[in-house]
Amino acid sequence: MNDKSGILVVAEPGQGKLANVTLESITRARELAGAVGGPVSVVVVATEAGPLAAQAARYGAGRVYVVERPETTVFRPGPYTDAAMAAIQATDPALVLFANSPDGRDLAAGCAARLGVGLLVDVTGLEARDGRFIATHPCFGGSVIVEKEATAGPAIATVRPSAFAREEAAGDTDVIPLSVDFAPSGLLTKVVDVVVENVGMVSLEEASIIVSGGRGLGSAEGFSVIQALAEELGAAVGASRAVVDAGWKHHQYQVGQTGKTVSPELYIACGISGSIQHRAGMQTSRYIVAINKDPDAPIFSFADFGVVGDLFSVIPALTEEIHRRKAAS
Amino acid sequence: MNIVVCVKQVVDTEAEKRLDPGTWRLDRSVNSILNPYDEYAVEEALRLAESHGGEVTLLCMGPETATEAIRKALAMGADRALLVSGDALAGSDAQGTAYVLAEALKSLEFDLVLFGSRSTDGETGCVPAAVAERLGLPLLSSLSKVEVRDSTLIVHRETEQGYIAYECPAPAVLSVVKGINEPRYPSMKGIMGAKKKPLDVKDPTALSLDTAQIGLSGAQTRVLSATVPEPRKAGMKIEDDGAGAQRIADFLASEKLV
Repeated sequence: MNDKSGILVVAEPGQGKLANVTLESITRARELAGAVGGPVSVVVVATEAGPLAAQAARYGAGRVYVVERPETTVFRPGPYTDAAMAAIQATDPALVLFANSPDGRDLAAGCAARLGVGLLVDVTGLEARDGRFIATHPCFGGSVIVEKEATAGPAIATVRPSAFAREEAAGDTDVIPLSVDFAPSGLLTKVVDVVVENVGMVSLEEASIIVSGGRGLGSAEGFSVIQALAEELGAAVGASRAVVDAGWKHHQYQVGQTGKTVSPELYIACGISGSIQHRAGMQTSRYIVAINKDPDAPIFSFADFGVVGDLFSVIPALTEEIHRRKAAS
Repeated sequence: MNIVVCVKQVVDTEAEKRLDPGTWRLDRSVNSILNPYDEYAVEEALRLAESHGGEVTLLCMGPETATEAIRKALAMGADRALLVSGDALAGSDAQGTAYVLAEALKSLEFDLVLFGSRSTDGETGCVPAAVAERLGLPLLSSLSKVEVRDSTLIVHRETEQGYIAYECPAPAVLSVVKGINEPRYPSMKGIMGAKKKPLDVKDPTALSLDTAQIGLSGAQTRVLSATVPEPRKAGMKIEDDGAGAQRIADFLASEKLV
């Protein structure tokens, strides 16, 4: 990609610390930087960027650009896109990485539109070949794996959470305040309120274990057995479309084609039949365990371990068994 | 409040999706439907128009057969539709699509542009932001509530923890999430009426589109390869004889998962 060099990671907006996906992106960027030359830079937009910059430094960022402005205390697409663009202009990178999240996609799409370049969305692999970047993207929930590249630089990609490992690395870091001119049109959106409702909700995309419930739970109350197992495992709770459509669970919990796409280490499907649209959201999980009454449920055709049985006896027993083993070890 | 809802026809979510081995484009010969996420955007537009007046126009880029999905949204109650269609558009990526929609929007009158949060086939979720950028309009995405007071939009943007409430003047580009409302089913009267509603079809020339920015040749991303991974195989399956939980715990321990 001609004279552009280095990689820029645009930190996922958040509170108080960097998101795992940002740390994963920094780690991968460091591994790739040798191939294209130039530093790994991170841009952080926050009320108090100091701790975030220090965290980026611990993961080996060579330069951290910080934006601390009253206009950007809470996510706003316009000014945050302006900040990302200012960092792109300051670094002239060969590759820019965003989180594949609602915020990250807004920013990546905004920057790509301004630059007139393409977008590599939801990448789970990134390689450098002859100075170009090749991105891997699982289409349709992983039933097809596509390799793509951008035809012009900088390449802009959104990175799927948990796709890469995160590792700290020693090195020197320059922390640089970045000045940004905010476009008036982006400042038209005003933040009125920030409301926290789900305290302690484990993010499905970042969870390493997910316990998910389907129609087999019988009712909204049936989720209590799922919840107990999830708490014992430190897992996130997921749900099938049937359960969300029935109003038993908020759609934020839905895994599948019209919900979230997840790839945890372990996915425990409880009372979920495993339709094509559900499978599309979870088949890239490393291990799948299924519990279902119906021995012919499609989920058993792709689960690593399946138990045909009543989830209301198997799940509580499993919760207890894991608790017992943890206590014994 | 005149609203344009951008809609897409997608392959049925219950169908296995395939890529054409020659072009690496999605095989759209299987059953197609209105993108499920767009139903929420159409419903929201209808509700806003019902309480504040104004018309709902659908804007779609797609093949001629996309009229089927458009008719469904018309049957729900939208007033008219514009389909941008033509061979030159096939293979457009997210940026190309955003360019086409933005150009088409310039030919329409609106106070608000609504999108579903993403399509179930392209799945980029990037088109609303790119359209907003191209039109120089404010963007607010992933909304779980949209209200209008005078010409000010009051919206809730969903977050993992809850939501952020924003205010923004119209016109703006918004995308809404599943769950913002309960999309209505088209009534028999709606279905019959939809056949008579205006559905304009325009080709890229009629919109004076720059051919360098559209279609497969205008795409700024290139597919290098597409492979179908080895399908997951069934592993161990047991009947619960009372020791099912124990066996799962053993399996998790043997794979070092707990």
